[in-house]
Amino acid sequence: MSLPIGREVRVGGARIAGLVSCVPSRQLTNDHFGEMFGQDKVDDVIKMIGVQTRRWADEATTTRDLCRRAGEDLLAKLGWEASSVDALIFVSQTPDFRLPATACALQADLGISPNCIAFDINLGCSGYPYALWLGMTMVQTGAARRVLLAVGDTISKIVDPSDRATALLFGDAGTVTAIEQGDAQDQAHFILGSDGRGATNLIVPKGGFKDYSLSNDPRLAGKDAACLYMDGGQIFNFTLRSVPPLVERTAAYAETPVEDHDYFLFHQANLFMLKHLAKKSKLPAEKTPFNIDQFGNTSCASIPLLMTTSIAEQLKQRRCRLGMIGFGVGYSWASASLSTGPLAVADTIEL
Amino acid sequence: MTKFYEGMAEIFEVEPEAITPEFDLTNANADWDSLAIVSTIALVDDCFNVTLDGESLAACKTIGDIEALVAKAGKE
Repeated sequence: MSLPIGREVRVGGARIAGLVSCVPSRQLTNDHFGEMFGQDKVDDVIKMIGVQTRRWADEATTTRDLCRRAGEDLLAKLGWEASSVDALIFVSQTPDFRLPATACALQADLGISPNCIAFDINLGCSGYPYALWLGMTMVQTGAARRVLLAVGDTISKIVDPSDRATALLFGDAGTVTAIEQGDAQDQAHFILGSDGRGATNLIVPKGGFKDYSLSNDPRLAGKDAACLYMDGGQIFNFTLRSVPPLVERTAAYAETPVEDHDYFLFHQANLFMLKHLAKKSKLPAEKTPFNIDQFGNTSCASIPLLMTTSIAEQLKQRRCRLGMIGFGVGYSWASASLSTGPLAVADTIEL
Repeated sequence: MTKFYEGMAEIFEVEPEAITPEFDLTNANADWDSLAIVSTIALVDDCFNVTLDGESLAACKTIGDIEALVAKAGKE
């Protein structure tokens, strides 16, 4: 069965200069949840999702704060003047406000000149390859010479603390990636797709301008409509259907066999699912790093967080061929195949 | 079916011999919850290269019902 996989786009002449991830200093181990759910139930869920510990922002700290700190650190380490940044894109589902856009606030936070393109994008698990595609396209077209991609989420603020399927799964992180002009060698291949038929399978039903909790969807009975709802079975099926062909097609489109990639960075959805997907795509464990055990599912930040944790040293030392695979809420999915490094900066910091 | 039965035994944490087409998913010890269903989706994908729908799977009452779903999905 051949499913439509997405738009295929090649972008040239732009590269990643460096990136910084910022995680909250507050760490929650699984013991924290034992009292709420019972240790047996916690163990059952953990066996599946593989999260041992995660970082949760405190009440006062938002995704914007994590991204601000990551951005300050990145600009300082790259030696970039804030005034040299032409565009800032904030990719998140946990903005400070419904309006205004958080990207505008971050422009001021970071001291970037008002001569700056700044806007938000509402994407989750697929957000990082989307951000790279857009940032690199802006550099390719000359719309911007230097772009900051602020990509992060604080999903801990929207999980229902009494829902073990989500409360145990998610962690918070904010990342900033710097994109600059590259040369002819810098060719990135992207595949980008969407299927809104899956919209209600991963949703916060209430809080925007439509109230989906009024829909009589039986799955939402007894749930807090202001919190994240996840239909795990449906999401898993979507992932099984879409991810293996996406991996295969990404390698084919980039004319770089799967085995010639140094790493495939999967969105850190759930450890059981990741292992299953890697096996199905015939990817060896050493090419598919995981950090979900340490940080949980960090939504759109999971791929850049892998870059600054699991493979940071490799990215600082040499050029690596990376595959990136993001998939989930929307449904939306996106992949990238590109060479990057050696990077001047690939660090993880705490706030 | 052996690999599938072994996998189901692991999911329910029972001896492999306990898994038969009559095995009752709905009895209190079986714990046919969302985690078991997701595990079964992965197992069936592994064994038969078939993706089952979570809702139809949740409606299954015995291992035999799951096998019937697999057979039906395999023909589509």
